[in-house]
Amino acid sequence: MMEEEEGAEEQQRFSYRQRLKAAVHYTVGCLCEEVASDKEVQFSKQTIAAISEVTFRQCENFAKDLEMFARHAKRSTINTEDVKLLARRSNSLLKYITERNEDIAQFNLERKAKKKKKLEDENKNSVEPAEAGAVESED
Amino acid sequence: MADSYSPDSEPTTRTLLRRVLDTADPLTPRRPRSARTSAQRALLETPSSKKLRSQTKMTARRRSHKARSIDRLAHIQAGGHLEEQTPRTLLKNILLTAPESSIVLPESVVKPVPTPQVVQTSRRESSRGSLELQLPEVEPSTTLAPGLLAPGRRKQRLRLSVFQQGMDQGLPLSQEPYGNADASSITSSLNLTFATPLQPQSVKRPGLARRPPTRRAVDVGTFLQDMQDTSLALAPPGDSLRTPVTTLPTDTVLEDTQPFSQPLLGRSPTVQHSLPCPSHSGAKDVERAVGHRTWSSGPRLQNSGPGKPAQLMAGKVEEVDALALGFPNTSSNISGEDGVEPLQNGVGEEAEGRMKEGLSMREVEEATEAQGSARAEEPEEHTEVTEAEGSQGAIEAKEPEGSSGDEDTPGRTASPELASSTPEFLRARRLQFPEPAPPPSTAVLTSEPPETLSARLPPRTRIPGPRPRQDPYKTGLNHYAKLFSFYAKMPMEKKSLEMVEKCLDKYFQHLCDDLEVFAAHAGRKTVRPEDLELLMRRQGLVTDQVSLHVLVERHLPLEYRQLLIPCAFSGNSVFPAQ
Repeated sequence: MMEEEEGAEEQQRFSYRQRLKAAVHYTVGCLCEEVASDKEVQFSKQTIAAISEVTFRQCENFAKDLEMFARHAKRSTINTEDVKLLARRSNSLLKYITERNEDIAQFNLERKAKKKKKLEDENKNSVEPAEAGAVESED
Repeated sequence: MADSYSPDSEPTTRTLLRRVLDTADPLTPRRPRSARTSAQRALLETPSSKKLRSQTKMTARRRSHKARSIDRLAHIQAGGHLEEQTPRTLLKNILLTAPESSIVLPESVVKPVPTPQVVQTSRRESSRGSLELQLPEVEPSTTLAPGLLAPGRRKQRLRLSVFQQGMDQGLPLSQEPYGNADASSITSSLNLTFATPLQPQSVKRPGLARRPPTRRAVDVGTFLQDMQDTSLALAPPGDSLRTPVTTLPTDTVLEDTQPFSQPLLGRSPTVQHSLPCPSHSGAKDVERAVGHRTWSSGPRLQNSGPGKPAQLMAGKVEEVDALALGFPNTSSNISGEDGVEPLQNGVGEEAEGRMKEGLSMREVEEATEAQGSARAEEPEEHTEVTEAEGSQGAIEAKEPEGSSGDEDTPGRTASPELASSTPEFLRARRLQFPEPAPPPSTAVLTSEPPETLSARLPPRTRIPGPRPRQDPYKTGLNHYAKLFSFYAKMPMEKKSLEMVEKCLDKYFQHLCDDLEVFAAHAGRKTVRPEDLELLMRRQGLVTDQVSLHVLVERHLPLEYRQLLIPCAFSGNSVFPAQ
């Protein structure tokens, strides 16, 4: 019974993996097509397959590393810091990630500022501003 | 039949077994040499037939059994026929296959047994004798390099024979003379008596006899001396037995395990003794003759005649060079090298062509590249030994030796040059490799900024300059590069070694950056073992199956754990041992 369950689970996982791999493969294919049209070079199927396989394995590695980093920092959630640590090897990648990180941070700050304002307004007004605030915050 | 062997005064296991076999009633009719033919066969038949009745083909087997049994009676029962395996046969086989004498037993026990039994004609005796004869049988096979081994063995035998003469008063020590060199040497090396060999009896089953391992009797005194002294014979002249074998393995082993090969000690060059030159050369000659290094020693040995004193000095100088690597203030290398150089330029090129062991070669080559010293062998040995032992802390012993070399070389001032020569040497060591003697300067130049000696010798590019600030930094890399070339087992170009150093440099930089980042990631400023474990996990060394502790136990021998762990936890304050 247990073995059957495990076997079924294995199969499930395996099929799940396959689906993920297929998704990656599809995305890699699209990207390669873009690059091909851009640089006017051809990509063979094997190349795309190889790239997608490598990408998949690297993603696995990244995930493990990220988990390790988070655990190393005694956290249970993976943070942008972990991601930055992961990307430190490649300078350009690191820069890119840092910039995006800053953008996101800024955006979050702005959001927080808006929420604070809304809360204050709500406190002043009772009902209508709350509705308006809710609508606004949704935006 | 009564086996007429003389009862031993001290019954050994073997003799007791024999007696048992001889006197016990033959329950199974396997008794050899018995006159009972039909009765025997009848007896043979019954037990065997009883066994065989359960099997098919009884008659055929009986007949074959008879024949077989008789055959077997005449020979040692090699085959494992089930019917034949009786306790008696087992004991017989034991007696036949076990070595004649045990190492533990005093020789006196063994001796009386073989000598009277030599004459015996009984099969057992002869088989036993054949066992004893295994020793002389073994000899011819071990004459591998008789030219090389003989002199060493001769010398060894001298000591052992003296020793054994004391033991065996009155045994046929006539085998002492070199005529029986091999026999006595081997027997002595096997810790067996002299009496046993040289019995020209046919060996019935040589394959069954276990060959005792050829062990060379270790003279503990010389061994300890070797450990403490360098290959320079500080020992009394009688101790010419400084077997290179004992030094060599320790050298290589010690070389490998040195973390840093230059414990810097501030030694004044004032400590100087004068080495006895003849004994020194004698020791060296012995070592060379034994040929544990298959240097192309022929031409070099020829040099010994004319260039001997210079060679001696060169040898000592080489050693001193090696010492100087570790001891900046030790005796004058350069000065010694100066004197020797003219002699050795030609041979130095030869020497450079060889790559015995990367480490030793490297050191020697570096030392010799400027000198062109012919004494590559000696210095290599010496440098190895000195290197190894230096790291072990037996520095005091070497110091005098090194400085004695200094004394011998006339007209050397050198202490300022010494100090300069050591950084020179340190730099030269990084170079590693067989460089032609003529442009040793280029060799040095390529790796380090060229520093030329002040007017001593043009090819000598040593500079009494300030020690470069990278010196400790590069020393470590140099060490690793040397290890690399050692394990490569092939000669390596200087450029490739530089490349290796560069790569190692980058690798370590990267490593330390990672450690720093990991520590910062955890909000710390100190690198802790957890950071290192994370690093190793990323490297793939530590996995879910293999933990850090497993790796530690696997790779870090206990002795070094005791050394390294205090270092690691010292909080960055580590000082070399004084």
